[in-house]
Amino acid sequence: MRRLRPYAIPYLLWMGIFILIPTIILIILGFSNLELYNLGVFDLTLVNFRIFIQDQVINALLNSLIYSVITTVICFIIGYPVAYYLSTLPEKKRKILLAMMIVPLWSNMLLRIIAWEKIFQPTSIINDLFGISIDLLGTPTGVLIGMIAMYLPFMIFPIFSVLEKMDYKLIEAAKDLGASDYQTFIKVTFPLSSGGVVSGVIMTMLPAMTSFVLPARIGLGKINLIGNIIESKFMKEVLGSSGASINQGALISLLLMIFSVISFVLITRVDKEGETLI
Amino acid sequence: MGKKLIIMKNISKSFGDQLVLDNFNLYINENEFITLLGPSGCGKTTCLRILGGFETADEGTVEFNGKIINDLEPNQREINTCFQKYALFPHLNVYDNIAFGLKIKKMSKDAIHERVMNILKMVKLTGFENRMISTLSGGQQQRVAIARALVNRPKVLLLDEPLAALDLKLRQEMQYELKEMQRELGITFVYVTHDQEEALTMSDTIVVMDHGKILQIGTPEDIYNEPSSRFVANFIGESNIIKGVMLEDYSVEFFGETFECVDKGFKKSEAVDVIIRPEDLDFISPSKAKIVGIVDSLIFRGVHYEINVLVEGKELTIHTTKHRKIGDKVGLSVEPNNIHIIPRDNNA
Repeated sequence: MRRLRPYAIPYLLWMGIFILIPTIILIILGFSNLELYNLGVFDLTLVNFRIFIQDQVINALLNSLIYSVITTVICFIIGYPVAYYLSTLPEKKRKILLAMMIVPLWSNMLLRIIAWEKIFQPTSIINDLFGISIDLLGTPTGVLIGMIAMYLPFMIFPIFSVLEKMDYKLIEAAKDLGASDYQTFIKVTFPLSSGGVVSGVIMTMLPAMTSFVLPARIGLGKINLIGNIIESKFMKEVLGSSGASINQGALISLLLMIFSVISFVLITRVDKEGETLI
Repeated sequence: MGKKLIIMKNISKSFGDQLVLDNFNLYINENEFITLLGPSGCGKTTCLRILGGFETADEGTVEFNGKIINDLEPNQREINTCFQKYALFPHLNVYDNIAFGLKIKKMSKDAIHERVMNILKMVKLTGFENRMISTLSGGQQQRVAIARALVNRPKVLLLDEPLAALDLKLRQEMQYELKEMQRELGITFVYVTHDQEEALTMSDTIVVMDHGKILQIGTPEDIYNEPSSRFVANFIGESNIIKGVMLEDYSVEFFGETFECVDKGFKKSEAVDVIIRPEDLDFISPSKAKIVGIVDSLIFRGVHYEINVLVEGKELTIHTTKHRKIGDKVGLSVEPNNIHIIPRDNNA
């Protein structure tokens, strides 16, 4: 193993440059008054925390929470049965269906968001073909549908991978001991797939909570999630317009990072071998 | 033996093109310890799964206590299974694994507690209630699996090679304990194994199977002493199978000599196979012997020597406590009641 160590160095360097250093910069920015075009001024301060009492930010945080929770719940309700169905299929059919879910993921997320944006326009291809107008741009429903479509696979895959590996003999054992199909599911199948559910929930909720392109494009900027606030804080700073603060942006980013770390710890707790992470 | 509890009538089952059970007929008595014995792929596990309700027969009926149960789901049958690799629930501890079936039946907490504690005592796992399954040894898991099935007090317990994963010492212990439990509880055990020694030790009745068919049913003594075919003779213990000719009732010729035997009912001069168990051949002085040969090889087996003697180009295996050297000229004798005659199997 020791001989392999040199091969890890490029990656460790990469992580250092693009993860560790930016994190340190975020911490410095979040707890100081350092500005992008005024590097001469530098004082440590907690003044940036004031952003968390701004209505705009509180609303965005609440929006993030509400939209990500609804997305996750609906993804779970749709995703669990799909994952279960997939796990019961013979290998050939299963592979075809999995491919149908995975291949679209290979196309750029932005493209898929723009596709939804086009579909939700009053004059869309759907309107041309079927005469139905799905006018959902700038509505909460449109944003939710977009998010569910975007993140559903991340719910399905971890649950599927746990169910697929489950020993079928356990289900037979439960039935042998008198359990009905429903009881078997509640007492055996579901508890044994809980690791996959936790992974799926986190892998859906986290990107949903932090998404910003999707609400910006499909929500037409009317629905702000926390990602949109961070983006605008940084972009305005770059553009030099008013209301900008990379310090505040950095602080909100750190908050989200804390969420990510907690989630990661949770996942590693329920899934020690990392089998549900794709 | 009690009354017939299970009757399997004309059962056939195929997986794809492969016929696994071929017009299979078997009845199982109440309180019987019956073993399905055969090489892997002979259909014994499929037979068990049909009894448990995990497979449905393509043809034929399964009768349980006078009712046809073909269409009953596994959870509706008064039959419990002890699975090959135990199939214990990894998310539950020992107590909850064993209590699983009782909780499904919605028994009261106190009643469940009492039953679980009793069965734990019986399988010698008192104090293990709160242990998770992954922390148990193979032998302990095996006991939990048996306890989980028995705690429901089924009429029939199906056991699918339950001891296959255990080491020899533990396996022998468990054989004894299983037999004891069966006797104590008066539950019918249907046991599947490919291990002939296990079958001989534990069973009231042995069913020898091959290619989805029953070759012989009988007590362990019957099966061992009176194998009905070359396959059974070879599968159950070791056998010397010698080509011979039945001269008349109670008289058989092999190795060019005439021997007295206890079999009758063959045609005059019918070609037969003569089966002699290795422990039934005895050394005598070559001058007095009808069978004379040269010691070919010798292996020390602990309790006995395994000596191969070459007689007229045919190798005979002998289990004996007497020592002979390789190259020794030896005479062999066999008692008439240890000569067992079966019709010649020309395919073998």
